Amino acid sequence: MINNLSPMKMGAQQEKKKKRDVSSIIFQVLFLLPAAAFLLVFMFYPIEETFRLSLMRYTGLGQPAYIGLQNYSRLLADQKFITALFNVLRLAFWSVVIQIPLAFFIAFSLITYRNRITGPLRVVYYLASVMPSAITAMLGRLIFAPRYGVVATLSETLNWQWLANIDFLGDVKLAFWSIFAVATWAYTGFNIVYLMANIEQIPVEIKEASMLDGANRWQYARHIALPMVSYPILIIAVTSIVGSLKFFDLPYLLTNGGPGYATTTLVIHLYQQGFVNWQYGRAAAIGVVIFLLSLFFAVTLFTMQKRKGEFV
Amino acid sequence: MKAQSTVVRHSIGRPGFGAKLPSIIITFILIILACAVVFPLLIPWFSVFKTQLEFAYNPWTLPKQIHWDNFKEAWVAIDIGRGLLNTLYVCLGAVACTVPSAAMAGYIFARYRNRVTEVVFYLVMAGYFVPVQMCLIPLYQLVGSLGISDTLPSLFLPMTAFGIPFWTIIYRSFFTSLPGELAEAARIDGAGHFATFFRVMLPLARPATVLAILMVFMGSWNDYLLGLILLNNQKLFTMQLRVAQFLNAYGVDRMPRYSAALIIASAPTLILYIIGHRWIIQGTLAGALKA
Repeated sequence: MINNLSPMKMGAQQEKKKKRDVSSIIFQVLFLLPAAAFLLVFMFYPIEETFRLSLMRYTGLGQPAYIGLQNYSRLLADQKFITALFNVLRLAFWSVVIQIPLAFFIAFSLITYRNRITGPLRVVYYLASVMPSAITAMLGRLIFAPRYGVVATLSETLNWQWLANIDFLGDVKLAFWSIFAVATWAYTGFNIVYLMANIEQIPVEIKEASMLDGANRWQYARHIALPMVSYPILIIAVTSIVGSLKFFDLPYLLTNGGPGYATTTLVIHLYQQGFVNWQYGRAAAIGVVIFLLSLFFAVTLFTMQKRKGEFV
Repeated sequence: MKAQSTVVRHSIGRPGFGAKLPSIIITFILIILACAVVFPLLIPWFSVFKTQLEFAYNPWTLPKQIHWDNFKEAWVAIDIGRGLLNTLYVCLGAVACTVPSAAMAGYIFARYRNRVTEVVFYLVMAGYFVPVQMCLIPLYQLVGSLGISDTLPSLFLPMTAFGIPFWTIIYRSFFTSLPGELAEAARIDGAGHFATFFRVMLPLARPATVLAILMVFMGSWNDYLLGLILLNNQKLFTMQLRVAQFLNAYGVDRMPRYSAALIIASAPTLILYIIGHRWIIQGTLAGALKA
């Protein structure tokens, strides 16, 4: 766009440029229009409505009534909401503590001990991550169902009555862990693939240098590979935490949030408040909480990363 | 492809240094874990050819006789034909709306940078962090007031909105990485803004487009929550809704039929994955690595 113009041509050129500017602006507007329309109508407007409804008492009939922050203060006194929040945070905690180290171990091993057998395994690990959650839920039921499930029939065949009698999805204490197991099955594949791609980007020279200094593979993993993929690990940690806040399909289909509130998540509570009890205002308030929490975790972790320079 | 060559070099550790035994142990552990991934998908084949009675007595032996009835029953119970058609409609709708919008917006953000487009881009990027779960209720009301409640477009229009930010970011970084001289050359040859985009830049962005089509398709294929909320008419139920319905209505009491349903329902994803796993993994990474 930089033109060296002689003063004489200036006038005509400017005229031309102006014309071009107008057509350029029209072009920009036209090209941004579809995306902008979709976002305005189906995202920004619903977001605004969520915030507005969260200040209303509204059951879907009649006019919504403004009640200030009552929906939020109700939530604080709502045992089910507190339990759901606790469940979701517990899930986030264990996802980070168990799924990510597991993924790092697998990713690092797949790269370090690559041979003809382990080479194609990456594709196998990722398979679980592409399964639709409704099917993952079916698989979970297949494994954990009492009496007919895989665990039950297998332990029956082996004559382990104690194991055959456990109701994995119906027991207050076990239900959470059964769902956590299914979630681990479903979501670790992504973490593995993602970490592998990042570990592979570490320059070979660094590895060779550390080997020359006498580090073995696991020292290399702990002291060099791990710090070097700290940023990707941070990203999947945020993804896992935000994913936990949004968790719905698996617990809804496997236990419907039960027994009691043992596996109720924030979105399950939101769904039940909104579409079972028709308490739009309270459901919207839960929506706002989900939004603020995911924002909070994303921002905190990323600023933490920035300040420390290195995570782990 | 570049990563591939690094990998090979990576795997050459220090020779000697007792590398043999750990290697065998780790390989073994990796295989066990991989089996844990595949195992649940294989189990249904143990019971699918049996009658309920045979399954009750011998759940873990090979079937004495091959019964195909379970497949037939499961097919009818889920009404898969219709489910597939509905899902396909939703997926194609989502692709047709998301990919062009994102490509055009990404192009503007990459090639027409000024104060206005930068601000708009930050707004779009903010959309990337918004979970669709937070505004289920307004969405439900919105499709009602737009007069499209209980239709399949009511499903893929919100999907599109929530898919656009991510793919716009991808397209933006892709168009930014293309050399600007190409666009300039086309401009000098007399091509207008539109021709430059459609004839020169968009064809160059084909890798991004292929990934976007694939991943948007799969994302809408896997949706369960939006369908659950926005669809009432059972005829319009997508595959995932039908699978969930089967899960709730029939349960595992008749395991052979359940297994058949599981095999049928997971088949499309499995086939797609076997054919396209390379692109699928690449697509996941393209998004994750650039973010």
